[in-house]
Amino acid sequence: MTISRRNMMKVGLAAGAALSLPSVLRAQTAPSDARTVRWVPDGILQVFDPLVSTANETSQHSLAIYDTLFALDSKGLPQPQMVEKWGLSDDKKTYTFHLREGQAFHDGSPVTAADCVASVRRWGQADAGGKVIMESVKDISKNDDRTFTITLTQPLPLLIPSLASAAGLYLAVMREKDASRPVTEQVTANIGSGPFKFNEALARPGASFVYDRNENYVPRKEAPDGFAGGKVVNVDRVIWNYLADQQTAFAALQAGEVDLVQAPASDLYPAIESDPNLELEIMNKAGTNMFLRLNCLQPPFNNVKARQAMLHLIDQEAVMRAAGFDPKYINPVTSIFGRTTPYSNDENTGWYKKGGDLEGAKQLFQEAGYAGEKVVVLQTSDWPAASNAALYLANTLRKIGVNAELASSDWSGFTARRSNKGPVEDGGWSIFISDWSDSKFGNPLDIPALLANGDDAWYGWPKNDEYEALRAKWGDVDTLQERQALAREMQRLSWDFVGTVMLGHYVSPVARRKSLTGLVSVLSVVYPMWNMQKA
Amino acid sequence: MCTYILRRMVSAIAVMAMVGIFIFVLLRLAPGDPAAIMAGRNATAEAIAGIREQLGLNEPLPVQFMLWVSSMLHGDFGTSIFSGRPVFELVLQRLEPTLSLSLMTLALSVTLGVSLGVLAAWRAGGLLDRTLTLFATLGYSVPVFVVGYFLVYLLAIGAGWLPVQGYVQIENGLGGWFAHLVLPTVTLSLPYIALIARITRASMLEVLSEDYMRTAAAKGASAYAMLVHHALKNAGVPILTVVGLSFAYLIGGVVLTETVFNIPGVGRMVVDAVNSRDYPIIQSVLIMVSGLYVLINLAVDLAYTLIDPRIRY
Repeated sequence: MTISRRNMMKVGLAAGAALSLPSVLRAQTAPSDARTVRWVPDGILQVFDPLVSTANETSQHSLAIYDTLFALDSKGLPQPQMVEKWGLSDDKKTYTFHLREGQAFHDGSPVTAADCVASVRRWGQADAGGKVIMESVKDISKNDDRTFTITLTQPLPLLIPSLASAAGLYLAVMREKDASRPVTEQVTANIGSGPFKFNEALARPGASFVYDRNENYVPRKEAPDGFAGGKVVNVDRVIWNYLADQQTAFAALQAGEVDLVQAPASDLYPAIESDPNLELEIMNKAGTNMFLRLNCLQPPFNNVKARQAMLHLIDQEAVMRAAGFDPKYINPVTSIFGRTTPYSNDENTGWYKKGGDLEGAKQLFQEAGYAGEKVVVLQTSDWPAASNAALYLANTLRKIGVNAELASSDWSGFTARRSNKGPVEDGGWSIFISDWSDSKFGNPLDIPALLANGDDAWYGWPKNDEYEALRAKWGDVDTLQERQALAREMQRLSWDFVGTVMLGHYVSPVARRKSLTGLVSVLSVVYPMWNMQKA
Repeated sequence: MCTYILRRMVSAIAVMAMVGIFIFVLLRLAPGDPAAIMAGRNATAEAIAGIREQLGLNEPLPVQFMLWVSSMLHGDFGTSIFSGRPVFELVLQRLEPTLSLSLMTLALSVTLGVSLGVLAAWRAGGLLDRTLTLFATLGYSVPVFVVGYFLVYLLAIGAGWLPVQGYVQIENGLGGWFAHLVLPTVTLSLPYIALIARITRASMLEVLSEDYMRTAAAKGASAYAMLVHHALKNAGVPILTVVGLSFAYLIGGVVLTETVFNIPGVGRMVVDAVNSRDYPIIQSVLIMVSGLYVLINLAVDLAYTLIDPRIRY
């Protein structure tokens, strides 16, 4: 056959048609654009098991595909979710849970009490609060397919809030065979009984993940309220499309290629607000607290006066602005129990001064006998807000004569260094910055930053036995008022020994196209995907 | 020829082995802990220790190395620490976008770069030459992300002609595939067009001053025949070298373009793996890329013989 222009065109058309055929076929099964939400998450989903990782993306993934026994409403109160009804024995030691009817896993198998028992047990091995609860658990057993009991050795008022994952790791109900795996071994089956099904075939690790509506999910009758209430899914598919570049994410949002950017950079807020098709919306009503940890084992912060100096040094507004947060969305936070929890209080907060107190801080460093020891501030280069805050902090320390030095590294290098308890000369550290959802500060049993049990405490390893004795009472206290009183006592001690220093509170709005509505507000950095719809 | 190819293949294995050892040692010396990343920002030391144990990261380094080598020799590239999926499967997922972008960039760069280089040499010192030299300098100097954002603003958001970001697989339709590659290809091609144009121009100028070109002109050869049939063929060796090196670089080094245009390619996968210390991915991909470099270099060396019969192996 001679190669002519006509022949070439024929071959080209035939090849084009052949290559396009699969998409024509697929178009008949893929959800329409109007029923697909394209969502840009805050980070890459790397770990799929909610008990292996504290990463927000992991919790958010789990929230979509798994269901929970209880869930927190918009006021932070636990409400039954998978549980239809529950009862407590007269001696307050035996809880009986009865599951809702019609619940099934994505593989079609029914949700049974045995799955719940295995899931609670696994959670109890991984979660800090779960471990505390397990110390008081005598038995967890299945009564029948839809009923199970938790028998305690002593009354435990915190059981229900803890099962609702109020502060710690997400208590996702998995199939018994998945929940029977060790907590250090990742469950990657991704089969839950939640409102979304994970689409394994379309998963592109590091790039995109697809969640399809679980058409068999039976939502509760109540209206959605935080994580509680009816999880009604109004779209067929949600695609998590990870866009590493903020400018590209914004451009894609403008062009309508994505519907929601979960954590837009604050310098893009004015551009988002000026676009008639876009809107900023605060989904996390509780916000987040940025704080710093001091290494209590090494000079100069092994001296309590030096740690107290840091409380006086911090100008929260300046730090948060330097970190890059929009002034509209920042607030001071002076309680170890955060800003929005029921236990937030003003006990022993005389150190707080708007604008900071450099002279007071300098005086306290002198009283600590500070003699020019090197203070190493860990700076995470791939977390811009913390990186900027660290830079500002180091400069402020230098202003009062502290020999501050930044140690910059990526997140991975940072995590390795912060576990070093040694002196800075041996690769140790003095200060690092982290943050946590404000709502989590409401449970000192679960949040590692509120521990002060020395070597067993979180990085920085503060130690105060009196405080720890009070913290141990947290689970035993019965009423809100009693717990609030206990919180004040704990805070009084905490701001004296100073393991953590608050840098400020911020809220981060999501950016969405106005055509996407029905987002559910929560007291968390982890967002639900149900209830939303596209115009 | 066969002996030469065989010798080069053996040397490729040696190169890949050296890269493997180097990468393995370097990764373990670098600070960072995949277990800590896996456990999350607010994990306890106890949780991290448990994951380290489970992942086998507490094994002595020589043991870890031998396990890796052994699995590689059995054709097993390992499993991603995070996703739990085979590295080979992950690479295959990412290969199509990277190859598509690289080949389209190469095609555009070679076509335009060589044409512009030949034209510039033909009109050396003239307005066309100076304009092209200015373009080449700009194309090589302006950062990729600046060009990328500019084109996105102009052609995607402003005009709405092209998508802002993303990649559509070929099997999902040629139209979508092509449309999503236009902007990244143009963006990525600019420095390569500039580079190839400059090399072509310099090489052509050298050839055009040769005696045999004067002879061809004296014989009445047309400008086209002189430039394409006589000069370009003789100027081809350095151009081919640059094209080969560019292709090798494109396969593994287009991270910035992949990031700006959100293309899920191999480059981004490696950067993400480095950030999270996903050792099996980093090690395996770098081994594969090093092998590819050797093969591309070999192909370029062999291609020399096609354009210059004096070269023999």
